[in-house]
Amino acid sequence: MSTVGNSTNIFWQESPVGKLERQKLLKQKGCVVWITGLSGSGKSTLACSLSRELYTRGKLSYVLDGDNLRHGLTRILVSKAEDRTENIRRVGEVAKLFADAGLICIASLISPYRKDRDACRAMLPDANFVEVFMNMPLELCEERDSKDLYKLARAGKIKGFTGIDDTYEPPFNCEIEINQKDGICPTPGAMAGEVVSYLEEKGYLQDQ
Amino acid sequence: MATNGKATNIVWHKSSVGKLNRQELLEQKGCVLWITGLSGSGKSALACALCQALYSRGKLTYILDGDNIRHGLNRDLSFKAEDRAENIRRIGEVAKLFADAGIICIASVISPYRRDRDACRELLPEGDFIEVFMDVPLQICEARDPKGLYKLARAGKIKGFTGIDDPYEPPLNCELVLPQKGNDCASPCEMAETVISYLEEKGYLLA
Repeated sequence: MSTVGNSTNIFWQESPVGKLERQKLLKQKGCVVWITGLSGSGKSTLACSLSRELYTRGKLSYVLDGDNLRHGLTRILVSKAEDRTENIRRVGEVAKLFADAGLICIASLISPYRKDRDACRAMLPDANFVEVFMNMPLELCEERDSKDLYKLARAGKIKGFTGIDDTYEPPFNCEIEINQKDGICPTPGAMAGEVVSYLEEKGYLQDQ
Repeated sequence: MATNGKATNIVWHKSSVGKLNRQELLEQKGCVLWITGLSGSGKSALACALCQALYSRGKLTYILDGDNIRHGLNRDLSFKAEDRAENIRRIGEVAKLFADAGIICIASVISPYRRDRDACRELLPEGDFIEVFMDVPLQICEARDPKGLYKLARAGKIKGFTGIDDPYEPPLNCELVLPQKGNDCASPCEMAETVISYLEEKGYLLA
């Protein structure tokens, strides 16, 4: 048995209180709602309003925001491509733990590469991965520029900024796509409503 | 703003549903029960017993077991010193998130170095990090040897195994030491009740 690299000196520990018991207690089914899109597309806004909407229905959710996590779990990583991949992988693994705990885990990250998002999808058993694509045009996001990042990126002060000099790869097969309607963005409440309806329809919000 | 080193292009997002809301919903206060001790000292057994006992009281817990985490989040890490530290750091950060979510998060990890455990303590608000030391002598742990690891370590087939050729640094100031004095034969269930009494006393089991 080796002591370096991936160890084999580790065992699966079974717990008598499992996911089903937790879901019964919480009266909901755990899942991951993965919100992806450009900076400024409204991911965090949706995460907040969704969380609030679920709370008013007595459902427990938790938001994993790319920015909040970078102060903690992923703080050693910087924004190079391979670190983005590792960043997303870690968030995916943590989201999986929250879903296993019975929570509706709302992950809100740019997560620009299809391969990385698909890897997270593959981590979740039983297809409990709900990908929500904030399909907002770059021009709109840049106009909002709520964190002045596009400005800095255009001035060449940030390199590899998604949408400016790094690609965003839209999903091929996401569960929910949030679009403008006739050039108007849906309100946070309306967006949250769409996601809640989906979750209700799929049985995540009922007694287990 | 820098493009290398620590990213500065990030801001804190406030969620309008906060820790207090979640605690109200769950009727409990989130915290981290950090169970530390030698391999075979009974950490996982206590974690399971706690989980069961709290569930029967309608409380939500989640176990972060050193072994389970190394199959997922920390599968890229080895047992080298720097990776052990990173293993504990990441578990600490995740436990912090769980506690913030309102869950009674039970971390069950050897976590042999004082400095690494103390660093996790610092992540949480005062009182929310509850260190539980499984104070069981090496001889007893080795006699149990539930995973056959001591045998392999003694045969030199595992290097740097805690207790054999790597130190375990007991806590200097932990909240709970188990088994309690004079009750060396306490079962996992009895020890779980000790922990639960502590949680009750400190207000973690009421909204």
